[in-house]
Amino acid sequence: MNSLRCAGCRLPGAAVAVIAGAAKSVGGAHRARSADLRLMRRFTHHDGTRVMSGKREVVGYGVNGSPNYIDCSDFPFPAIRYREVTPEICAMREKEQGDWKKLSLDEKKSLYRHSFCQTYAEFQYFMPEWKLAIGITLWAISFAMLISLVSNVAIYDDLPITYDDEHRQAQLRRIIQLQMNPITGLSSKWDYSQNKWK
Amino acid sequence: MLRTTAGKLATAMRGTLGVTSSRVGAVRCLHGTEESAEEFDKRYEKYFSREGIDGWEIRKGMNDLLGMDVVPSPKIIESGLRACRRVNDIALAIRWLEGCKDKCGDHKATLYPYLLEKITPTLKELGVPTIEELGYDKPELALKSVFDM
Repeated sequence: MNSLRCAGCRLPGAAVAVIAGAAKSVGGAHRARSADLRLMRRFTHHDGTRVMSGKREVVGYGVNGSPNYIDCSDFPFPAIRYREVTPEICAMREKEQGDWKKLSLDEKKSLYRHSFCQTYAEFQYFMPEWKLAIGITLWAISFAMLISLVSNVAIYDDLPITYDDEHRQAQLRRIIQLQMNPITGLSSKWDYSQNKWK
Repeated sequence: MLRTTAGKLATAMRGTLGVTSSRVGAVRCLHGTEESAEEFDKRYEKYFSREGIDGWEIRKGMNDLLGMDVVPSPKIIESGLRACRRVNDIALAIRWLEGCKDKCGDHKATLYPYLLEKITPTLKELGVPTIEELGYDKPELALKSVFDM
């Protein structure tokens, strides 16, 4: 069980025990062990997509090898069929093995919808999602402004006394007197012979 | 330095992974050689018309092709459709047509009729409907705009 946990098992212990018990009750000791392992592997693979894919047929290689469905023009053939297997669709697939000319247009369409969720025209249709994006951005900005306002009002102390005009003037005077940064900086702009700005 | 280390590592790995030298050679030889358009078409035609091809391989080939910066030639499209027929999957064939149409990009007005003209005999033969016949050139199940209600 520990090794399963290491392999990324996210099922609670009880669930795993139930699965194991169900598998054991099916057949003999050897068969039970292999079925057990297979079930474990199935339920512990990746991120649970295999469980979520349900009874859908796995027909290809999905994103990172997981059996997942996506409608995307760069990758138009996803790993699983979109709908789960039903008796009706099984009958239709039987019919599909024969001549396709005998299939009606509706049957062709429902076979397509069994395999895929949206057509190209549907998933490439322009959606006004930019409105949502702008809305969320504005909300985020206003929230950030609110935080900075609240912290300025309620959290931070007043500015130190040295931020007064008088103190800053005194500081400037001292910088000039000490001739700080005389080549390119502040003091280089001060004319010491005439005691004023150049 | 890196080259010698990499070379040594590759030799060591080759021993462990069991990659034969001929396979490495084949990969190395591909490097730097340009494949002509005809060769490319031939390669994919051969890929799709292989006898024991299954749905997984068809999807892999089509996904690869539709991910490239090319419009599949009519020959490739036809052999893809025939491959779909052999694995009895009409949904795959319709999706493949849609993908090829999408690949025409900005030149849909000129390229798509040309492709359609070339592959029409195969479509007729197999009984695959065109996208227009299915009504899939426009969104079928899209929601109505709230401003049109």
